Amino acid sequence: MIDWMAFLIVAIVTWVAALLIVAAYSLGVRLLAVAKDEGASVGLNKTGAYACFTVCGLIVAFGVILIVPQLSDAILGFSSSH
Amino acid sequence: MDLTLIVVLVIALALFFDFTNGFHDTANAMATPIATGAISPKKAVALAAILNLVGAFLSTEVAKTISGGIINEDPTGSSGVAIGPAMIFAGLMGAVIWNLLTWLLGLPSSSSHALFGGLVGAAIVGAGFDAVNYSVLLSKVLLPALCAPLIAGISAYLATKLAYAITKRSSGASPKRGGFRYGQIFSSSLVALSHGTNDAQKTMGIITLTLVASGMQDADSPVHIWVVTACALAIALGTYTGGWRIIQTMGSGLTDVKPAQGFSAEVSTASAILASSHLGFALSTTQVASGSVIGSGLGRKGAEVRWGTAGRIALGWLFTLPAAAVVGGIAAWITRAGTVGFFIVAILGVAAMLTIWFASRKQPHDHESNISDIDNSGAAVNILTKKERRAKAKAEAKAKQAALRAKAEREEAEEEKVDNA
Repeated sequence: MIDWMAFLIVAIVTWVAALLIVAAYSLGVRLLAVAKDEGASVGLNKTGAYACFTVCGLIVAFGVILIVPQLSDAILGFSSSH
Repeated sequence: MDLTLIVVLVIALALFFDFTNGFHDTANAMATPIATGAISPKKAVALAAILNLVGAFLSTEVAKTISGGIINEDPTGSSGVAIGPAMIFAGLMGAVIWNLLTWLLGLPSSSSHALFGGLVGAAIVGAGFDAVNYSVLLSKVLLPALCAPLIAGISAYLATKLAYAITKRSSGASPKRGGFRYGQIFSSSLVALSHGTNDAQKTMGIITLTLVASGMQDADSPVHIWVVTACALAIALGTYTGGWRIIQTMGSGLTDVKPAQGFSAEVSTASAILASSHLGFALSTTQVASGSVIGSGLGRKGAEVRWGTAGRIALGWLFTLPAAAVVGGIAAWITRAGTVGFFIVAILGVAAMLTIWFASRKQPHDHESNISDIDNSGAAVNILTKKERRAKAKAEAKAKQAALRAKAEREEAEEEKVDNA
């Protein structure tokens, strides 16, 4: 009766999502710090940093789309509702 | 007695529970970014309230678990007593009273588990053991209560390690981890959103259960939109009001959470709650957030667990469900007296709420009872500062040396003994 698969899904989704978001944001923070270094290319590093922050936002947006049945129907063409 | 009146009273109590939930739990999500100065209190509180509101509209999986799974509205057992709205009222009363009592006494507790405890207790007393679907209770409430904080804790631990590893500068330049402060606006918003999806849905489930039990709604039909809207508004209002209380007690001591660590913890909390909500797990959001705070604390250098504090928190969690079940059961037993019983429960319940409220106003709250359960759980991890770490390493080295010296002296003495002989 107990759906162990569901727990596994929650665990894997949580770990993958959290680590991806934290990794992307940390990389952004690092690039911002590097941009302040002497001799570093400010523009390039800052662009990279903001790209990382954008990736963060995209991951979250994707998660929300997956959760809301109406959105996943409209955008992804399928609904993962149970 | 008029069934409609009972249903209206149950809905009012359920919305009140939702409000206290927002007031008590969800406002905490914004505490960290306010404390680190990333966002002004006014904006933070408004943002949390709005996101709770939005979150409540995102999903109805948890509401379906509660309205259609845990309680058998029409038990097939020999008792033949169906779950009536009066019984749900009794269960809710049990939950509200237990919640207020633990709040007054400063005990760690969980609104969600109080809710389930109250309902289960009332159902068992009111309609017998057949009334509760134990396999759903186990797989959608009890096991998630154990697994989700653990999953979130492991996630926060790994994420904190990762965040520190990525931002570490080998050149010795400043890693500028303050940048995580702004990320915390974003991660706290996510936590507020996830609170809305899980906590507000519990009340939706209760109201839907009541409507089904009183024959006003089909058991298989989805949650009504007015129910969703009412619950979303109640939790958002609670969050907004509760936010001001948090701000007022802010100066009195949050656990020392660094921005990078807080960010990792909050992202983990939000991911775990959102994923669980989607699969219909009714979680205690406080417990998940506590798991993350402890996990992220352990991910920092020089962290040790204070097992005493951690054990006390776990014990409080264990107690919540059975204790609320007892209160709910007693209330259900009184409602069996019919209309008179129902009003006795209503009047006793309101009297208990007022008493607890007045008692809380008289008793000067020290800051310990004012800070949230999540912060309390942060105290379960002791993070040594660099200085303390160095002092500890020194002391350990000294002890080791002393032991070596003692050993050498002993051996020397023995050698002398042999020589003398």
